[in-house]
Amino acid sequence: MAKYICSICGYVYDEANGIPEAGIAPGTRWEELPGDWVCPLCSADKSLFVKQGEATSAPAEKTRPVIDTPSDTQELSPLEMSALCTNLARGCEKQYKPEEADLFRQLADYFKSVAAPSKDPSFSRLLDLVEKDLEEGFPNANDTATQAKDRGALRALTWSEKVTRILKSLLIRYQNEGEAMLENTDVHVCTICGFIYLGDNLPEICPVCKVPNWKFEKVEGR
Amino acid sequence: MAKKYAVRNIRLCTKDCLCLYVCPTGATDTENSIIDVSKCTGCGDCADACPSGAISMVPFVYPPQQPKTESVVSMMNALLRSKSEQENIAAGLSGRLAKAIEKSNRIMAEDIIREAGYMLPQSQNTKDFLQSLLDKNPEGLPREAVEKLLENLYKNEEEGSMKDNKTKENLMKAFAGESQANRKYLAYAKKAEEEGKLNAAKLFRAAADAETLHAFKEFELAGKVGSTADNIKDAIAGETYEYKEMYPEFVKDAEAEGNKAAATTFTFAMKAEEVHAKLYKEALENLDSTEEVFYYLCPVCGNIEKSVPEKCVICGIPGDKFIKY
Repeated sequence: MAKYICSICGYVYDEANGIPEAGIAPGTRWEELPGDWVCPLCSADKSLFVKQGEATSAPAEKTRPVIDTPSDTQELSPLEMSALCTNLARGCEKQYKPEEADLFRQLADYFKSVAAPSKDPSFSRLLDLVEKDLEEGFPNANDTATQAKDRGALRALTWSEKVTRILKSLLIRYQNEGEAMLENTDVHVCTICGFIYLGDNLPEICPVCKVPNWKFEKVEGR
Repeated sequence: MAKKYAVRNIRLCTKDCLCLYVCPTGATDTENSIIDVSKCTGCGDCADACPSGAISMVPFVYPPQQPKTESVVSMMNALLRSKSEQENIAAGLSGRLAKAIEKSNRIMAEDIIREAGYMLPQSQNTKDFLQSLLDKNPEGLPREAVEKLLENLYKNEEEGSMKDNKTKENLMKAFAGESQANRKYLAYAKKAEEEGKLNAAKLFRAAADAETLHAFKEFELAGKVGSTADNIKDAIAGETYEYKEMYPEFVKDAEAEGNKAAATTFTFAMKAEEVHAKLYKEALENLDSTEEVFYYLCPVCGNIEKSVPEKCVICGIPGDKFIKY
């Protein structure tokens, strides 16, 4: 009997125990779990689980394409400046400076309004970018931050990488299931790390950044 | 000037109201639950007393941001670019999942740029960013917002940079020395007068006044004289420290060493400082009142009353000895 660990939140599926309260009998093998079974804590799908004792990542020897280091003088795009401003607005909020937070939000809105809309938006383009982040962006940034001993950057990268893996699994499910995947289910976003949770019973704390669930925001339709 | 001020987290506040009882200036007692910065003396009593941990002391001047290496910044910027692009694509798609992905990418982008050198709104990076916006002046930029941010976020900088300034430290040392010399010479002048050495007494008084001139100038140059409201707050903080912390210890030590005269002097001073703190607090509340107030000083213990008492409540001398101000 083996154990499988969720790479997002650390939940352990133990074949010996099963999950009797969810109708999964003790002794149910990993392969016998239905394909659409998801982590009971964070809704990560089966592909995000790692068998205990096995390496967590793909073969390490495979050489990664090193992305061109963007020059330091590169201009931020309007949408990036908008994110910079909403980040600074949060910083002001934390410091109890509501007036300055509002001013940064005003700037963020301005930059968002002048950003050119995406020309050809599609879910498959999203999935391409997510996969590129996971294959190149995060590993490269993690190496650099580890070398620089930058714990702050590593913290942000760890959270964002987990969230990105969840995004990948959601995008793949959406490709297969379409809108049916969202029927009769709530969609929540953690306002601290961006973790997305599909379902009605929120975990008590965010599986990625561990904040209490009142920091989650329910996404309403548009 | 206080280095910190108190802020209240409304989400954590359970209205146990200990902060109201311990605040020496009433800064925590407001109708909108936001602590009044203009009254806060930065003493920290409210934060210590709050049973819910809802009050934090935050600095006026934040420490410099942690440095970032160029390589980390460029890697983080590459990810930022990807996350922003994903936010933009998701914004062009319909449905709740797309909306959630848009939000999620914005939150990740914020976190990534925060760790790429934009943690603090008060940092040099942020200041340079804001300044560059004014220089480039893109069409439709809300300039007033940028100008206001530059004005608000960096006004404490000068004060912060002066914190470790040697000259400022020397000014305060000189102020302490000159202040002591003034009181010392006045004490010597009094003695000289008692001994009939009037010329020596005159010189002591003239020199005492000279030291006062020096002390005033040095105190002013050190940037310690603020608005009257600020000065009263500083006085409240000083008097409160003396009667709550300094004198109680001094009285204990004097009693332990059997020095009764010093113990009595310290006790009188301690009680008088408490009265002073209370009077300053009232004065702060009524700062704009035009109604004239008279103060009466006890020449023995330093007690101050707002009307002539029958006898001093601290040292017991008759009220007719009080001096009117």
